[in-house]
Amino acid sequence: MKHKVSLYFSLVCAAALFLSAAPLERYHTPEEVNASLKTLGERHAQTAELLTIGRSAGGKDIKVLRIASENPSYSKPENRPSILVTANLEGTHLIGTEAALHLAGELLTRYGKDKNITQLLHTRTIYIAPLLNPDVAGFYFSDLKIERKGNMKPVDDDLDGRDDEDGPDDLNKDGVITQMRVKDPEGTQIAHPSESRLLIQADPKKGQSGLYKVYTEGLDNDGDGLINEDHPGGVELNRNFPHDYEYNNPQTGLHPLSEKETVALIQFMLSKPNIVLVLNYSTENTFLNLQQTGRAQAAGNKIKATGRFATMLGLEEDKEYEVQEIVDIIKNSGMVPAGMEVDASLVAMIFGSGPAMNIDNLDMPSFLEIQKQYKDALKKAELDYPQNRASGVVKGSFAAYCYFQHGVQVFSSDLWAVPEPKKEPVKDALTPEKLKDMSNDDFLALGEDKIAAFLKEQGAPDNIKPAMVINMVKSGQLTPARMADMIDQMPKKPGGDGEEHPDAYLLKWAAEARPDKGFVDWTSFNHPTLGEVEIGGFVPYLQTPPPALAEKTIAVHTDFYIGLMEKIGQIAVKKVHVAALENGLYRLTVHFTNPGWFPTSTAQARRARTAWPIRIECGLSRSQTIFSGQNVVTLPFLDGSGGTAKAEWTIKGKKGSKVTLTASAPGLGTETVSVVLQ
Amino acid sequence: MKNKKQKTISFITLSAVVILLAIAVSAADVNLSFDHFYDNAELTQALKDLQKAYPQFVKMESLGKSHGGLDIWSVVINNPKTGPGEHKPGYYIDGNIHGNEIQGTEVTLYAMYYLLKNYGKTQFATRLLDERSFYLIPTMNPDSRDIFINKAEELRTGIIPLDEDRDGTADEDPAEDLNGDGFITQMRKKDPDGRLIPHPRDSRILIPAPAGKKGEYIMLGSEGIDNDGDGRINEDGPGGYDMNRNFGYNWMPSYVQMGAGPYPFCWPETIACRDFLIAHPNIMGAQSFHNYGGMILVGPAAPNMGQLPMMDKQVMDTIGHNGEKILPGYRYIIIHKDLYTVYGGTVDFTYYGLGIYTFSNELDMDPFESMPFGNEEEQENMTPEEQEQRQLANEFNELFFHDHVMLGESYVEWKPYNHPLYGEVEIGGVTKFGRRVPSLFQLADTCHRNAAFIFYHADQLPHLEFQKIAVKKLEGDVYQMDIRIANTRLTPSISQIAIQKKIHRADKFTLEGKNVKILAAGYLTDKFRDLTQPIKTQDNFFWVENGVRGHGRIDIRLLVKGRGNVSLTYDSLKGGFQQAETDLK
Repeated sequence: MKHKVSLYFSLVCAAALFLSAAPLERYHTPEEVNASLKTLGERHAQTAELLTIGRSAGGKDIKVLRIASENPSYSKPENRPSILVTANLEGTHLIGTEAALHLAGELLTRYGKDKNITQLLHTRTIYIAPLLNPDVAGFYFSDLKIERKGNMKPVDDDLDGRDDEDGPDDLNKDGVITQMRVKDPEGTQIAHPSESRLLIQADPKKGQSGLYKVYTEGLDNDGDGLINEDHPGGVELNRNFPHDYEYNNPQTGLHPLSEKETVALIQFMLSKPNIVLVLNYSTENTFLNLQQTGRAQAAGNKIKATGRFATMLGLEEDKEYEVQEIVDIIKNSGMVPAGMEVDASLVAMIFGSGPAMNIDNLDMPSFLEIQKQYKDALKKAELDYPQNRASGVVKGSFAAYCYFQHGVQVFSSDLWAVPEPKKEPVKDALTPEKLKDMSNDDFLALGEDKIAAFLKEQGAPDNIKPAMVINMVKSGQLTPARMADMIDQMPKKPGGDGEEHPDAYLLKWAAEARPDKGFVDWTSFNHPTLGEVEIGGFVPYLQTPPPALAEKTIAVHTDFYIGLMEKIGQIAVKKVHVAALENGLYRLTVHFTNPGWFPTSTAQARRARTAWPIRIECGLSRSQTIFSGQNVVTLPFLDGSGGTAKAEWTIKGKKGSKVTLTASAPGLGTETVSVVLQ
Repeated sequence: MKNKKQKTISFITLSAVVILLAIAVSAADVNLSFDHFYDNAELTQALKDLQKAYPQFVKMESLGKSHGGLDIWSVVINNPKTGPGEHKPGYYIDGNIHGNEIQGTEVTLYAMYYLLKNYGKTQFATRLLDERSFYLIPTMNPDSRDIFINKAEELRTGIIPLDEDRDGTADEDPAEDLNGDGFITQMRKKDPDGRLIPHPRDSRILIPAPAGKKGEYIMLGSEGIDNDGDGRINEDGPGGYDMNRNFGYNWMPSYVQMGAGPYPFCWPETIACRDFLIAHPNIMGAQSFHNYGGMILVGPAAPNMGQLPMMDKQVMDTIGHNGEKILPGYRYIIIHKDLYTVYGGTVDFTYYGLGIYTFSNELDMDPFESMPFGNEEEQENMTPEEQEQRQLANEFNELFFHDHVMLGESYVEWKPYNHPLYGEVEIGGVTKFGRRVPSLFQLADTCHRNAAFIFYHADQLPHLEFQKIAVKKLEGDVYQMDIRIANTRLTPSISQIAIQKKIHRADKFTLEGKNVKILAAGYLTDKFRDLTQPIKTQDNFFWVENGVRGHGRIDIRLLVKGRGNVSLTYDSLKGGFQQAETDLK
């Protein structure tokens, strides 16, 4: 018992220490994370409340810290527009957990001191879930380092009727699981010509013949002739959500949302309809990489006109139409019963166009503008982030579910990635920035060689030849500025010119940045079934940033995320106009506006029918009646940054009497205005 | 403390009570009739009676509670004398997943009753119960079942409140039995602006007024009022989701698949069903009962799933086409192609997710002569006049049936009613028992024929046997064993989809004996030339990756070291567990 108390005490002390803005010296264990959440909750009892939303497969609590002031002059925290901050659903993204904790700490300690934060916590409720995959996160701290991604759910990977019976083994007892390379007649790998520690696939066309087979370090524990084919665990939680989920894959689970952790998260989110923004930390960076998971089917907002409906609406069979075009055609078809809403969602449904796979065109401007602001923030902070390597949203991920199915605005950041090796800038080299201000003549004056070098440097596809570009500029089809735009939007290929091993940069970086150099040199070992092997290779958690490197990016992201929280949609009355008609009739026109930056709902939410319309109730006294209009009017949404919409009523009532209008939606709160009939 | 005598007496009394009870519900005494629908209380009692009468075979267990707090009953039927349930191919049945499609429950109950009652009496029932185990959920939706049977409403959905119209309140505007006759029927109103007129031959039928003539009636929809004053009637009734769109395979969100729910397996009923299926991995055949239209449905239920792999399609086609003979009038068809698209339905989860051969029967057809409208293409080729004439002919036939066969039992004659909003209206029409569910005099027919179809499907599940075990001494302690494992039924021991998508483990062959070792193994592919295809072995077992095909066999040649008695085990997850013995000598 005494032992337990002292353990707890030391945990609390540790928690207190790392919450006090001390430098991040190491990552914190799931126990320490929960202890620090508890400490935060207790220390800021007026603004923070610790909730438990479920348990992991391994029996660990999953915690959410609710942050909101309890100031009675503002609406109750559970009624306020809310933001959900989620982190480390993958379990291996430890920096995400630290960032979410940092964000919680900043919000709570700056409350009452910083005007903006104080206002934020008066008007919003922020839910922070720093550690959504405690089991997997815990593995980082075990003595033997295996970069395990599956949760504690037993899975029979090799379908032999037994679960998790053949995992890796630390044969050379160095505390890390690396790789084994074995000379084998069927081997297909060879040492890279310029970096012999790294392996590549032999290319017979270049006269290379394979030498090695590569395995994870371990034994054939179950004697089935295979090595490490049924490792412990489990399901990868960030691939267990229903948008573009991969079926029949043991790593993603038996079905979407098959796991305790993912169900706990989804149930929590669904129980709070006022969550309008999800800010996530994962290995995805959806600020920088807007690529979605699906094949480019039913591109964006287009729909193919087929079958009965094409005939019914007089459309050209099999032609692709814009959804909005079809909406207009249906609205004007004379076939729509009175009172029926025709919108993109309805059209998508009747044409059976399936789920959306791309960001809706109407939502795109927000994503692009936030992307720009994010890039500016990274630049301003001089963060050395390899933007070309940012990975987009993952199939079946939480972020994908949030946007495509739940319909909320969502962003995810990985915070940090191994930096791109510095290249010596070539003197006078052409850059996209320079291109922007160039005239056609300036560009042509560069000459074919410089243009070719530039195209290669930018990773242009092989079919884009310099001569072609020159001709297009000459003929006026292309301007240098337009070209710069295109290059900006082009998916960036990771660096490397093909002669260097694609992982060589990791090796170089780790040699300087990590005390362990990040690599175990190949050393021979006598394997019981494979014979003479060499054990070595990259260490697990190689790409987990050394804590010292994590601090700066965490601080930058905390500020950026707080900035996003301030941008959510709001509702306000812009203008009230009362016109007196005859016989005690008054025409009441009210313009509502959105002073927030984001629209009040995403277009995707409206398509997915998860958006809450803004409900406006016209409260009348007994002596008043509505002559035209309805006592409840709904506005589908208000666009961001001042979007407006109006509602109208004609009311019969006494001069000088009052009408009370109440506008509300779960994610917007409530706005009330009193109008005098005169 | 009681004395010994008292104890003895009470023991005797207790024994007497037990014996009396046993006599009260002995096998002979469980007589279930299929001339009425079972509500939950009756169903529970019937299941309990069967369990009491056949304790050696029947195990009923609650899978959890529905939203309304009713037990979701499961029943496992197995004859332990022929082996544990998981050592036999299992057959799964559920009924009534849609609350208004109630007769699947009676069919399931009947199938169970028939098997138990005829065990030891007919050869077929005895064999079936000896060879297979059965896993039943007689009603997936007990809440809506009771509403259908005992209340005025009928619901397809479960009853968890859902705010379909996103107005911030859930289930605030249901239908009402205004005239208190126990049914929700239709409302119509005489209205000079109406465009309908009564048919001259039968005023119960309304037809469009001819061009240029004034109409007399408007239809007002289901019986009810505008409870929430939003100008719409009955737009937010209980529930509003569809359990058969909530299964976790090829699941799509609500905006693609209406009724899907917020995420797969989010309702207590679908969770119960999933967990029951997963707990019994030996299930190889399944039936999910719906109504109506007389169909034997097979997946895939959505076009994005493509087609069934060929070998599985052959199995389903054979059973389905024979089903058409067992169930005259029923059509064997593919869900997405011939009916409509269903994402997240039961059948795709059981087949693509678990590797189970699954049918879904749409029980019963219109019990009167009707002129079929045909498929979509035929309908498109029909002129509006032709369509109208068929519609009218069907309406007359339906009324004739109600008048002269049902004798008015399931038709409410139109009577005036003073509606709070519409004023003077008429309420009447066909009741929920007059459509989709069989008339009670036909229920037994529905039950028996569909049970017979289930039995046929269950009987065609794999049946494996060691047909030949030949031992030949080579030299010293080394023997050659030739073993034939045959499947005497239509269904393979592993479905092709399970092999393709790596859904579950393969079949396992094991040879056990003291100091006996398999040196080599192979499939004998040509007995005349002694050609074999090698199999990778481990210690004393190997995996038979492709199982044994329907009406097929595998010939295995082993090179074995050892001597004496050996046992051979062929362990198929879904195809059964077979053992044999022989001597190496």
